[in-house]
Amino acid sequence: MIDIQEKLKEIGPYVEAADDDVLVCRCEEVTKGEIRQAVHAGMFTMEEIRRYLRSGMGLCQGQTCGKLVKGIVARELKVSPLEIEPATSRAPMRPTEMRIMAQDGGGANE
Amino acid sequence: MIKRYDLIVVGAGPAGLSAAIEAAKNGLKPIVFDENAKPGGQLFKQIHKFFGSKEHKAKIRGFNIGDELLREASENGVEVVLNATVIGLYDGKEVTVKIGEEILHYKGDSVLIATGASENMVTFKGWTTPGVIGAGAAQTMMNLHHIKPGNKVLMLGSGNVGLVVSYQLMQAGCEVVALVDAAPRIGGYGVHAAKIARCGVPFYLSHTIVEVTGAEAVNGVTIAKLDENFKFIEGTEKTFEVDTVCVAVGLSPMSQLLKQAGCEMKDTPGGFVPVCDDSGATSIPGIYAAGDVAGIEEASSAMIEGRMSGARIANYLGYLDEDALQARLAELEQALSSLRKGMFAPENRGKLVTKTEEGIDTSMSLLEKGYVADDEIEKYPGVTKGSGVHPVIECTQNIPCNPCQDACPKGCISIGSNITSLPVVKGDVACIGCGMCVASCSGQAIFLVEDDIGDGYGTVTLPYEFLPLPEVGQKGIALGRDGKEVCKAEVINVRSSTAFDHTHLLTMKVSTDMVMKARFFKAE
Repeated sequence: MIDIQEKLKEIGPYVEAADDDVLVCRCEEVTKGEIRQAVHAGMFTMEEIRRYLRSGMGLCQGQTCGKLVKGIVARELKVSPLEIEPATSRAPMRPTEMRIMAQDGGGANE
Repeated sequence: MIKRYDLIVVGAGPAGLSAAIEAAKNGLKPIVFDENAKPGGQLFKQIHKFFGSKEHKAKIRGFNIGDELLREASENGVEVVLNATVIGLYDGKEVTVKIGEEILHYKGDSVLIATGASENMVTFKGWTTPGVIGAGAAQTMMNLHHIKPGNKVLMLGSGNVGLVVSYQLMQAGCEVVALVDAAPRIGGYGVHAAKIARCGVPFYLSHTIVEVTGAEAVNGVTIAKLDENFKFIEGTEKTFEVDTVCVAVGLSPMSQLLKQAGCEMKDTPGGFVPVCDDSGATSIPGIYAAGDVAGIEEASSAMIEGRMSGARIANYLGYLDEDALQARLAELEQALSSLRKGMFAPENRGKLVTKTEEGIDTSMSLLEKGYVADDEIEKYPGVTKGSGVHPVIECTQNIPCNPCQDACPKGCISIGSNITSLPVVKGDVACIGCGMCVASCSGQAIFLVEDDIGDGYGTVTLPYEFLPLPEVGQKGIALGRDGKEVCKAEVINVRSSTAFDHTHLLTMKVSTDMVMKARFFKAE
């Protein structure tokens, strides 16, 4: 378990970067700067970042930005991307209209 | 009524279909769901000839392999449901599938996930500008929908996808202005690089995109050289006027369903993949994974992995006894391991291989510029001299591929039992100039050369896959391996044949001293 306070001390304060305004999650319009700031606010896992910023929660469900977000978080934390805890996978795997979800009769549709 | 199947396959690509076919042949009743309107996964976008040997369907074009798979699936009673999106995988191997306006529930005695992979992206200034597209998107537009993605394209990424798609873009009539990669060396097969280099496409290794410009759509791209720390070197910027930037920077497995189901997963540099054995069995009994979702490779290995999973599942459900399973797996394992040999084998990933298996120096020019230098080419065993017409095989890297060996009716080309060996031309067999070897080479690396046809001229016969086809008598320029002009040339023969499978054999007349340099014909 990472000690968040220790880690925050280790990585130092958030410093603005020239490319902070680059969009990373296009679906939810989340920028690189927002992700970096989220890390400095103590969000170290993909799940936390996703809940905090909604990155990867849009139409493509993180198919495009997932790896990019992970890379940014890892660089900010000065660790390998393999050490970043991935987000939970949940149904529906693809965007599904609520109208259709509501009709899922469960057992009746078996 | 619960809809229950012996095997539920998610994904009708090469892995999923192969698994369903193998299972069906053993008596199982499989159903395959695919979210797309057409089956075949990426196979129908692959218009190039595949590598490998006969058992891997080498020298057959990808979309034809797709047709073969579909035919085999239907002959074996595999049910394929299209426009069917599997959105969940639950306990008891229950899947939820969105079909039309409904969510249907199915249960499988076994489930195979063969969902493939999605394209990676990179961010740079302007990467969201319309006209920045994935290489897969470019292929979809060109090869499925017959839409030209743009007129002037810059390709980022020199792996096989970047190389193959660059060539296809040129075939579709686009101009590829440059191929750019942040890595110091070309990632894909040298033969794929060579066939675009000789058309004049420059390679910029250790370079990447600084910025894409254009308000409404891409109108330009600037690249710059990178230092060892992958930082831009100031003053090295180059700007190209383009309307399309194609990104081919790798693939990531679409493994979410496996994770949701609770399979043990591992994070690797190649993506988030299930922990599974050789035949795709995951940590949950009855749930399997095959193809790119279990680790990125390519279609040929995905098809074999699918067959292995299919056989394993047949055994799991009692349709195939252990001995028969082991025999089948051993056979498939051998086919798979031969594809994983050579310079591009998984264990060589990211490494610089400095010598071929034969002990010949690797062409650094090929790795850094996309072509073998004129003074290096004669080191390789397929490059021979002779009087009269003879093959010149510019195959310089150990890759698993051997169709040329069976192509020559006179048996003049030999690779031997090791599929990655460089082809050798036997000097004692007379070449009849039929061109079967030229057309059989998936890497378009075989040429027929005749040094002297009189009057100081010789001929070069090259594989040609562009339209319009030049005509006999047409004059133009011969380009060298580096895509630069070497001399004037005249087309003296164009041969097309069903046996060549859309690779045309263009013979051009060039001055005798240029027959070992001229490798492409450009009409004037």
